[in-house]
Amino acid sequence: MKHEIVEKQGASIVVFKGEIDLDSSPAARKTLLRCSDNTGNVIVDLSGVTYIDSSGVASLVEALQAAKKNGSLLSLAAVSEPTRRVLELARLDKVFTIYGSVDEALAGKG
Amino acid sequence: MANLPPGGDRRSPQVFDRRRTTMVSGHLELLSKMSGHLAVTLNLDETIQKALDLIVKFVQAEGGALFLLEEKYGTLLCKASAGPVDIRGIRVKIGEGIVGHCVTENTSRIVRDVQQDADFDHTIDESTGFQTRSIVCTPMIVNGQKIGAIELVNKHTDDGLFSDTDLLMLQTLASAAALAINNAHMAEELVEQERVSRELELATEMQRSLLPVTPTDRFPVAGINLPANEMSGDFYDFFVLEDGRIYFSLGDVSGKGMDAALLMSKTASLFRCLGKTILEPNVLLATINRELCETAIHGMFVTMACGLLDPKTGIVELANAGHEPPLIHARDGTFTALPASAPPLGIMSLQAGDNGIREETFNLDGGTLYIFTDGVTEGCLEDGSRLEQTGFQDIMRERCDLPIAARIKAVVSILSDTGRKRHDDITLLAIEDTRPELRHHASGDWPRMVARFTFPARADALQSVREVVNDACETCGCVTEDATDIIIAVGEACQNIVRHAYKGLDEGDATLEIYCEDGILEFRLQDSARPIDREKMQPKWPKELGPGGLGICLIHDIMDKVEYLPPPEGQGNLLRMVKFIKRKNSNET
Repeated sequence: MKHEIVEKQGASIVVFKGEIDLDSSPAARKTLLRCSDNTGNVIVDLSGVTYIDSSGVASLVEALQAAKKNGSLLSLAAVSEPTRRVLELARLDKVFTIYGSVDEALAGKG
Repeated sequence: MANLPPGGDRRSPQVFDRRRTTMVSGHLELLSKMSGHLAVTLNLDETIQKALDLIVKFVQAEGGALFLLEEKYGTLLCKASAGPVDIRGIRVKIGEGIVGHCVTENTSRIVRDVQQDADFDHTIDESTGFQTRSIVCTPMIVNGQKIGAIELVNKHTDDGLFSDTDLLMLQTLASAAALAINNAHMAEELVEQERVSRELELATEMQRSLLPVTPTDRFPVAGINLPANEMSGDFYDFFVLEDGRIYFSLGDVSGKGMDAALLMSKTASLFRCLGKTILEPNVLLATINRELCETAIHGMFVTMACGLLDPKTGIVELANAGHEPPLIHARDGTFTALPASAPPLGIMSLQAGDNGIREETFNLDGGTLYIFTDGVTEGCLEDGSRLEQTGFQDIMRERCDLPIAARIKAVVSILSDTGRKRHDDITLLAIEDTRPELRHHASGDWPRMVARFTFPARADALQSVREVVNDACETCGCVTEDATDIIIAVGEACQNIVRHAYKGLDEGDATLEIYCEDGILEFRLQDSARPIDREKMQPKWPKELGPGGLGICLIHDIMDKVEYLPPPEGQGNLLRMVKFIKRKNSNET
C-alpha cells in the first residue's frame, strides 16, 4: 500500500493506492488519524485501492469517529469497486459520505 | 327320448326307408355344411342364426326359433328366429310352453296338433297373428349342460306334420348347433377376457404413468412402487416448484381392487393439481380431504403424507393424515418416527392447524426422510417373518452410503425376491438433504482439491494467500464478483488466525485447502493454535458503529456455509467455508 497526503482548499486529501490489509492497515490508520486530528476536513481518495479488508475498514471508521469528535468532516471519494463492495457488505456504505471524485468532494463540502 | 307322436306315423315302411336314406345323406351334407359355416364364425349371434336357418330349411319347416337358457332368471330367451314371424327377444319361463317343458324335462317332443296339447302356450300366436299347428322341439345339451332348445313349427308338407325322422334330424342338428354355440360362446368369453386384460394392461400403464420420473441421480427425492397385482392402491409423486422447493407425497388407499386404483388416481391427480398453488402441506391435505369427502365412496379412505423440501436449506415441512409414521434417518445414524397428527382422508371434515392436520417443520441436516406404505413394514422376508420397522432401519443403515434410489430399490428387492406371494403393494419414497457441502470427503473422489497452501500466520503472508485464492477461483471458472467476495471472506478468515488464534505472535503456520466441484467452492482453513472460543466466532452485527467482529460478519455474509469442524489431528482449529459460485460459462452447471 502506498499513500500520500495533499492539502487542497483547506482540506487534507489522503490518497491510498494498492491493498489495505492487516499488514498495511496500521500505517493507513496512523495516516488517517493524523489527518483527522487536524481541524480541517478529510477526503480519502480510494480510487487506487485494489483490496481492503476489515482492518482497513476499521481504520476508516476510527478516523471518521475521530473527525466527528473534532468537529470536522471525513468523506470518501472515488471509491474503487473492491472497496465499495466491502463497505456494502459491512453495511457501512451509508455511514460514510461518499463522493464520485475528489473535486466533487471538495465542492460538496463547500 | 322323443315322446310318441299322438297320431303315429301313417306313411308306409318302404317310403319311409327311401326317404330315410335320402334324409340321412342330406343330413350328412347339412352337417358338413353347418360345420363349415360354423367353423368360420365365432360370433355367437351369427352362429345361432345360421344354424337355425339351415335346420329350418332342411327339415322343411315353416318357421323355427332357437332359445338360449338364462339360468340366472329361469327363462329361455329367443336368440334366433326363422320364418314369417320374428320372435327374437321373446322370453319363455322354464317349465312353461312346449319349449319350456322340453328344457325342464330334458326331452324332445313332436306335437302334431298344438290345439290338443295342454302345454302349448297360445300367447305368442295371439300376439303375432301366426298360427302354429304342429311343433317339433328338442333341447340343446353340451357336456351334459343344458344350453337351450330349438323349436320348429308347421312342416311344409301336405299334412303339415313332423315325423320321427324330422325329430331325429333335429336332435342331431341341435347337437351340432349346441357344440357350435358352445364354441362361439367360449370364443366370445375368450375375446372378452382378452379385452378385459388388455384394458387392465392399459389401466396399469396409465397408472404407472402417473408416477413421476426422477430427473437425475443427484435429485434429492426418489420413489418406487411395486404393485401386488396389476393395479395399485398406493401412489407417490413429487415435482419441483418455481421457487426450487420440491413437493412430495405418498398415499395408500384402503382396499386393493379397481375401486382403490381409481381412488388412488383421483387423489394423486388432486395432489399434483392443487399442489401447484397450495404451498402449505397441511392446507393441501385438508383441501384434498374436502374433495374426497364430497365424493366419498362408502368405506374407502386414503392415508397420505405430503411435504415440501427446500434443497437449498434441507428444511422439510411435512403433514401426515393417518399414514404410517415416516422415519428420519439422521446423519448421526439415529432414526426418528413422525406419527400422524390427523385421521386418514375421505372420512370426516378436517382443518389444517393444531386441532387438525398439523405441519411439522424440521431440518434434515444431511439426513434422509423415508415415507412408506404398510406393504413395506408388513412385507414378508424369505423366512416368512415380517420386515417391520427395525428390519427397514437395518437395510437403510447398511446402505446409507448408496444413492437414495439404490437404497429404496434394495428394500423392494429384499421383499419381492422371497419366492412368496405378496399381498400388498410396496411403495417407498426417500427425501434426502443432498446439499453438497454436507457430503463427507471420505466417500468417493468428491470434491476435487484445486489448491493447498501452507503459510506463516503473519500479516505479511496474507497477500500471497489472496493470490492463491484468486488463482483457484480462476481455475474453477468463478465470475469476478464472486471471486472478489471470496477473496474478502478467506482474507478475513486468515486475518482472524493471525490476530486471534495466534494472538498476533508469529509462532505458527496455517494451511488452506481449496476444493471445487459442480459450482461449489469449499475452503478448509486449518491452524495449530489453541482452540478458539467458537461463541466469539458467531457473527454479531454491532448495534453501534464499530469495527469489532466485522471480519466474521463478512465471512458469514459472503459464504453460504461456515462451520468449525473437529480438526483431524485433534488440535488447532478447522474452519470450513462453502460458497456456491456462478461460473463464467453459463453452460456449465
